[in-house]
Amino acid sequence: MKKKVVSAISGLAVGILASTVFFGNFSTEQTQSTAAAKTNAEKVYVPFGEKDEYYLFASGGHSGQMFIYGVPSMRRIRTVPVFSLDSATGYGWDKHTKEMLGGYTWGDLHHPAFSETNGEYDGKYMFATDVANSRAAVMDLKTFTVKDIINVPNTSGPHCAAFVTENTEYLFLPTRFSVPLGNKYESLDDYSEKYRGVMSAVTFDEKKQKLSIAYQVALPPWSYDLSDAGKKISKDWAVITTYNTEEATTNLEINASKEDRDFIVLFNWKELEKMVKEGKYDNVDGQKMIFPEKHKGAIYLVPVAKSPHGVDVTPDGKRFIASGKLAPALTVFSFEKAFKAIENKDFVGERNGIPILRYESVMEREVNPENALGPLHTQFDDKGMAYTTMFISSEIVKWDPNTGEVLDRVPVQYSPGHAVAAEGDTVSPDGKYLVSLNKLAKDSYLSVGPSHPESMQLIDISGEKMEVIQSAPVDPEPHYGQMIKADKIKTIEVYEKDEKNPNAVYNQKDARIVRKGNEVHVYGIAMRSKFIFDAKAKRPDVIEVNEGDKVVIHLTNIDLDEDITHGFAINKYDINIEVQPGQTNTVEFVADKPGTYPLYCTNFCSALHQEMTGYLLVKPKQ
Amino acid sequence: MASKKLSLQSAIMISLAGGLIALSLFFPWWGMHFIAPQYPEGLDIVVYPNKLAGDIDIINGLNHYIGMKPFSEKSFPELAYLPYVICAMSIFTFVVAWMRKKSWLYVLIAIFVFAGLLGLYDIHRWLVDFGTNLDNNAPIKIQPFVPPIWGENRIANFVTNSYFSTGAYMIGVSFLLMLFPLWKERKK
Repeated sequence: MKKKVVSAISGLAVGILASTVFFGNFSTEQTQSTAAAKTNAEKVYVPFGEKDEYYLFASGGHSGQMFIYGVPSMRRIRTVPVFSLDSATGYGWDKHTKEMLGGYTWGDLHHPAFSETNGEYDGKYMFATDVANSRAAVMDLKTFTVKDIINVPNTSGPHCAAFVTENTEYLFLPTRFSVPLGNKYESLDDYSEKYRGVMSAVTFDEKKQKLSIAYQVALPPWSYDLSDAGKKISKDWAVITTYNTEEATTNLEINASKEDRDFIVLFNWKELEKMVKEGKYDNVDGQKMIFPEKHKGAIYLVPVAKSPHGVDVTPDGKRFIASGKLAPALTVFSFEKAFKAIENKDFVGERNGIPILRYESVMEREVNPENALGPLHTQFDDKGMAYTTMFISSEIVKWDPNTGEVLDRVPVQYSPGHAVAAEGDTVSPDGKYLVSLNKLAKDSYLSVGPSHPESMQLIDISGEKMEVIQSAPVDPEPHYGQMIKADKIKTIEVYEKDEKNPNAVYNQKDARIVRKGNEVHVYGIAMRSKFIFDAKAKRPDVIEVNEGDKVVIHLTNIDLDEDITHGFAINKYDINIEVQPGQTNTVEFVADKPGTYPLYCTNFCSALHQEMTGYLLVKPKQ
Repeated sequence: MASKKLSLQSAIMISLAGGLIALSLFFPWWGMHFIAPQYPEGLDIVVYPNKLAGDIDIINGLNHYIGMKPFSEKSFPELAYLPYVICAMSIFTFVVAWMRKKSWLYVLIAIFVFAGLLGLYDIHRWLVDFGTNLDNNAPIKIQPFVPPIWGENRIANFVTNSYFSTGAYMIGVSFLLMLFPLWKERKK
């Protein structure tokens, strides 16, 4: 009998052991060695299997794209097309992206901005503006794809954007170029009377994933350069820099640099919102346009050293920092002092009906690092210290906005425009890293001829002293960036099936071609390693149409598997689209060229990718 | 003598067995884990008494390269009636516990052993069917194969690992619990 007990117990023991082996978790947390002991190489090395700590979104400038980098490795992870065609992802060929681009083939992507909740990046959306064609875009960070692009009327070149308010209530788009309302023809001799620098307040509907213009403000005909929304005590306010308050219409290099002072526009967007509610606006081309000379009380001017570029609000929301880009000095302004000056009507005059606050009443201090020149843009660390790029003296200056004390300086190669710190424009910057976005690379990298890449330099800002620890070339041309903690972004790997989508086909047997008059609608699938357009046909991977037919191809990638993206291209028809795993995408064209056109999968998908082909046969007209 | 009832302790053990059998319905019984260079995280087939879970679509998509038939819940009629069989077994086990008769217990154990062997045979049968009836038109021709019910196998770039899972272990434990009265009520 004893034997039986032993066997019963041992049987149980085996069961428990086996289940432990199968279900137990024996992995252990790896402990990191202290950062202090690391060399620069160790600080930036991210071995296979580990991931970067931050995403860096670098604006792609006139490439019209957004560049996604990992920090600290500074490896480029992806290029996301926003305002320009991109055949690598079929962006601009499929129906949705083609309609979004609206016929434009390129854009000039300037300042990117994350959506925010309580002044913190929430990792949900990225906004960007197009200086070339006056557009704004929103990118969904679940898929890193652009969901909507909006054209902004009455304005031209929202360089001064985008910046979002503390809870993404608005995305403000002030403009670099002033134009007549409605972009009408007006003589430049009438510049001061007929031209306006219109700022747009854009809202984003998260449910519909649509941007729209809430209202516009007809600011004076100046150039608006950069901007920042207030935080905490200043959250209802925003600041934007201006130049060419001289209202010059030619040779701006000389004529817009004449006056010693330009202005910071300080405005209260809650007041503007109230004006719109109270009907204090004019209708201009279907837009609600506020004219500040008619409706006062929301906008003020603060004198600033001439031709300023950046204006940046400190993380505590108490100060804003701006500097003339030709001047040596940085100026710290106080929101509290500005509010008091407004209350006391401490004005020194008016421009275009907008009150000018007394400089001395708003300015807190001027900071003048020795021999520093060309202060452009400021970021902050976790202790509230400021890091300002010096374009002309080619360096980053670290300083204390509370005391004006210069703490450290580090040369960068060469001529930094913007810098971006880890969550460096939020209410709680992370410190750790700063990337200097340098306009000139010169001989930093292997030569590729006269046209050079730009350069991004990673600076460790965790210690008292800054240290340049890595350098990475980048295509033209990052103007500003945003750096976000990697775990804030939650991507999807595969599009979920949407059984309600009439264009989607999830079962290969349902693939079909439907003719409606001279329109041919294809409901096809792509899978490793074939296309099926018509499951019942003798050759399921062939589309046969007549010359002149309108062809609409809906293609669903039924490989619901990570990283199995298919492409779809038709030779000589200038068509190439992408279908991501689980996605249904549509392309439309007119089969105006008779003949035989091979079609194939452009995105390498499998061992038999090369065989993933078919034909478009276009029967000539009789 | 035959009319002597099983002890309360034994009846409780048999009831526990019945409970575990019922509970096992909600847990996977068997699975296969696939690992390839491109799938270091692995792909899974997980078999519940009433459904399949895991990466069925992806595995089917890959299997078509070697000409294996696609499988789904529809290809296994067992999944439709197995839950009823398990429920019936559970109820019968409770009945035996209630009756507290040794003869009934013997019948229960016999059915249990028979059903268990049948189940194992059934899994094997499907493995043979899917591994050997490969389409001759497949792009990649491989030797027909029969993955083991338990343990490792290699097919092309995949290493597969078949294993019994929680539900099966619950059945195993319930079997031990059924055997308990035989020891407890042994003749002293």
